[in-house]
Amino acid sequence: MSAPEIFNRKLRRLRRDRAAPGFPAHAFVVDHIIESLLDRLDLVSRRFDRALDLGCHDGRLTKALRGRGIEVVSADAGYRFAKMAGGIQCDEDRLPFADASFDLVISAGVFDQVNDLPGALTLIGRILKPDGLLLAGFTGAGSLPMTRSAVMAADIVHGGAVAPRIHPQIDVRAAGDLLSRAGFVLTVADGETLSVRYSNPFRILSDLRGMAATNLIDAQPARHFNRQDLATIAESLASQAERDGAVTERFELVFMTGWSPGPNQPQPARRGSGGKSLADALKPAPFSDRVDITRPDKP
Amino acid sequence: MIAIDGALLADLVCPVTRTPLTLSAAGDSLVSAAAGLAFPICDGVPVLLVEAAKPLASPGDQIIIP
Repeated sequence: MSAPEIFNRKLRRLRRDRAAPGFPAHAFVVDHIIESLLDRLDLVSRRFDRALDLGCHDGRLTKALRGRGIEVVSADAGYRFAKMAGGIQCDEDRLPFADASFDLVISAGVFDQVNDLPGALTLIGRILKPDGLLLAGFTGAGSLPMTRSAVMAADIVHGGAVAPRIHPQIDVRAAGDLLSRAGFVLTVADGETLSVRYSNPFRILSDLRGMAATNLIDAQPARHFNRQDLATIAESLASQAERDGAVTERFELVFMTGWSPGPNQPQPARRGSGGKSLADALKPAPFSDRVDITRPDKP
Repeated sequence: MIAIDGALLADLVCPVTRTPLTLSAAGDSLVSAAAGLAFPICDGVPVLLVEAAKPLASPGDQIIIP
């Protein structure tokens, strides 16, 4: 392992194991991602026989896929989640599946916590059969702006410097680039905003803990938040609150769709195979709604 | 006694070497002969993590010859 790791794998397993028993109470972000992924899946007309649910949490997506008649293998980086879903425990960037094992790999809410996401995508390309589909959704760049500014305020006031507490996040454009780089074709990356209203802003933190989404950065901040920090966080969140004291926090969700290359996929037309001249097509139409304005030479 | 089915086992490979895994004689681990590692099966869950794997005493000693 020569490349430095962003996230602490051991800590991530611990956080997931701790979150597992109470997960249903905090699963709303994952549920929202799952719903969007299933909408996208239902738009695809072809049938899938064998799927991998990567980052399966308690098995809720696995169940939904089985309900659609798809055979599913579940996998999670946390033992308890893997056990709950009846799956296997493995890391996304060290996948233990043979090449061409699945025709669908689907992942809800974990790609933002993977150390080597380009490596994970390359592996997913390998374990997919030709013309297999990858569908993934996760929390991306711009998420949790209020929480971010509140913890930064606490660090600046009491610690004197900003500590790495919020994960590096992937934006939509980078997601698209990553897909192409990993060799996927017909790729789409798009975003969706999930706004969550909190009448008690401190519930944001318990929700993040409950969905195993708290800080996993390997260089853990030396300073732990004390009572003064929490007071500053509360103050900062209160200053961003609406009139009734509620805070609306945002989750910017990023979705990735990509196909592994296959022989029968739509291809660009062969060069020179067009029957019509582009020059003709681009000529202005005789009766268009185009307005020509001629400006006088001199003012 | 092991709740791991043959179809799944056929699809599992060693996360280090990407070579096939075999069920150990005791049925409590998945052995990667190429990496010299045994991955535990804990309560029916194959734990395919490098840090959870145990090195084999001598290569091939736990493998069932099919």
